[in-house]
Amino acid sequence: MQYRDYYAILGVGRDASEEQIKQAYRKLARKYHPDVSKEPQAEEKFKEVAEAYQTLKDADKRAAYDQLGTHRPGEDFRPSPEWQQQWHGFGDTAFGDTGFAEQMDLTDLFAHLGGAGARARAHRPIQGQDFEVSVAITIEEAYEGTHIDLDLNLPEYDEQGRLRRVPHAFRARVPKGATQGQRLRLAGKGGRGVNGGRNGDLYLNISLRPHALYRASGHDLFLDLPLAPWEAVLGTAVELPTPGGRVRLKVPAGTQAGQHLRLPRRGLPKPGGGEGDLYAIAQIVVPSVTDERERALYQQLADVSAFDPRVQLAPEGSHAH
Amino acid sequence: MRIELNEVLWLEEHVLSFEQLADLSGLPSALLDELVQAGGIAPIGSAETAPRFGAAALAAARHARELHEDFELDAAALLLVLGLCDRVAELQAQVRELQAKLPRTRPAAGSPRRVE
Repeated sequence: MQYRDYYAILGVGRDASEEQIKQAYRKLARKYHPDVSKEPQAEEKFKEVAEAYQTLKDADKRAAYDQLGTHRPGEDFRPSPEWQQQWHGFGDTAFGDTGFAEQMDLTDLFAHLGGAGARARAHRPIQGQDFEVSVAITIEEAYEGTHIDLDLNLPEYDEQGRLRRVPHAFRARVPKGATQGQRLRLAGKGGRGVNGGRNGDLYLNISLRPHALYRASGHDLFLDLPLAPWEAVLGTAVELPTPGGRVRLKVPAGTQAGQHLRLPRRGLPKPGGGEGDLYAIAQIVVPSVTDERERALYQQLADVSAFDPRVQLAPEGSHAH
Repeated sequence: MRIELNEVLWLEEHVLSFEQLADLSGLPSALLDELVQAGGIAPIGSAETAPRFGAAALAAARHARELHEDFELDAAALLLVLGLCDRVAELQAQVRELQAKLPRTRPAAGSPRRVE
């Protein structure tokens, strides 16, 4: 397994007091906690800091960690037989299995330790760990439903009570109607419980990938609808893409830029039944006029129209034109 | 390597008892009770029956457990932080909704019907 220098991660000396360790943790937690931090890789950094603190704040764990000796960060190492005997009671061969030490993480060494009476708790039921995974799906996948494949290395206790990381491949069905921020639970698919403790759960946090055409808000979808000025003035019928297929939309005469044209039940399906709506947002697009005949027609329109788009900007008592 | 095909449960469809909520969230029952009594985690349904909790309560309770472990926060501090996090989540949802309603880009002039 790879060594991590918990003192260096917290930025304290190996002789730091409990109070100094706590202060260093609080400072770093404020900087990197995912609820508040905008630092890149903040979540990873916070996990590292929290792992260091969880070990060093506990007298038993800290003593066990200190007795591992000092190594370079990232250096592969194996706890000595004496260490294993003292802290795990497994004897010389416990970590001697081929590849066993490589399967373990540094935190796994301290999972059983900590606090008064830790040894006495050895046979108490321990609930398996919960895990959370973020899953990004496309709007098409949310519309149709999809399968997602997850490859996770989950810590599990073996028959001897030793912690190993076991690869699990899950194929989970995401039913149609998933949308941004929704949470799914795979009951009992987290870490395995021991001594009769229940298995942990696996939580999936769904997010929607950005889409070239649609923007989602809940189960409603929004789509830009470019219109020529004359289409907006005279009205028209246009064909639009929707996740369920193309539909025709009647654009009423006098449509304004920014107006939302609603297509009921053309958005994303809802888990309990029904669908969200799709909104086409009118955008008036002005063409680059290069043709003399078109320019003349615009000029003719300008000459005969009494339309004043800036009436509310005119000085009081006057009518700019 | 095992392949497991799982039916996924929508958290939105869960209805949990107080004991189930404590078990699933990992929050100590006494602390969870304080948060519920103070309104930081709200049950669903009428107050006359035993309290039942939905997905939002499970998410809040799990978040409270993380904050309790990460910062050793007591009930009073948890109530404040959970309230602020709720407010941030509401504002983020409003921003997402407003962004969805904003035109993304101005299409190139001369191509008014190019919607594919």
